[in-house]
Amino acid sequence: MSKELNITENVMQQINEGKIKMKPRIYFIAGSILTFVGLVFSITTSIFLINLIKFYFRTHGKMAEYRFEQMLANFPWWTALFAIVTLLLGIWLIKKYEFSYKKKPFLIIIGFVLAIIFVGIFVDIAGFNDSIIRKNGKMKNMMNGYYPKGYLNEIRPNR
Amino acid sequence: MKANEELSDEEIIEKVRTSDKDLYALIINRYQKKLIRYANNLIKNEEKAIDIVQESFIKAFINLNSFDTKKKFSSWIYRIVHNQVENIRKKYKQETPLLEEWDFESKDDIEKDFEQKETIEKVEKCLKEIPLIYSEPISLYYIDEKSYEEISDILKIPMGTVATRINRAKIIIKKICQKN
Repeated sequence: MSKELNITENVMQQINEGKIKMKPRIYFIAGSILTFVGLVFSITTSIFLINLIKFYFRTHGKMAEYRFEQMLANFPWWTALFAIVTLLLGIWLIKKYEFSYKKKPFLIIIGFVLAIIFVGIFVDIAGFNDSIIRKNGKMKNMMNGYYPKGYLNEIRPNR
Repeated sequence: MKANEELSDEEIIEKVRTSDKDLYALIINRYQKKLIRYANNLIKNEEKAIDIVQESFIKAFINLNSFDTKKKFSSWIYRIVHNQVENIRKKYKQETPLLEEWDFESKDDIEKDFEQKETIEKVEKCLKEIPLIYSEPISLYYIDEKSYEEISDILKIPMGTVATRINRAKIIIKKICQKN
């Protein structure tokens, strides 16, 4: 019992002497905002990169053996690596949310990854990349290397 | 106006955060016994359990503004102790004895039906022999009288997993008790 009393005394003494202080509420609010921003960044980046990968495969035609090897040689691997890194970041951030432990972890991870892959593919099918190439802008320069020569004529036959 | 002793944990926490830090002593007094027993169940060393609980109350105070008063304070503080024990276990893995006498508090003041009393006795007798993954949820359920939802919040596992682990623990305990 005396040891228990010591806990109260020790802790309260440290509080009253100012040795331990409560972190301000803004600290935790900022933490939540940063977590949310990080998650949004992770989701959008992953979707964009997966969409780019899908676009790369689509514009390089069917995977005949020779073309596939050629594609692999030219494939911008950084997008795949960066997509994986941002996916992992997203999974780690999701684990910080209250709901995450209420469901089975592998279901959340599989659901998250599948949803991002699905949206990434959908964005490409919806013509997001083609519309970027049609327009001349900063994004178009970034897309260079993802589509083969001649693809521009396919989607802009009048020019 | 309610006396401070009659206030709920969450109401006291709100007061500690906004106006009266001294009320934190009330919270410590409410939980220290239970938490020392809980930590002792996990770490099997009373000295370390007391240190862990003291450290947990300090951490809880520092992070008090992150606590959501719409939720249960007891689950939050148990979770902090659980994390603290995990940290200590990782740090002193070699030092932690695997089997030692488990010293549970007496249950004189608990009014329970016969079946539950019998279960508590069985749990107390056999708990030390079952793996921690099962002993922790079952001790939280029968000894600390936490609901499945609270155990889920403390251990950060789904409620279905809590139920499964408690059921498995019962089967294991039954086998061990019968063997003994």
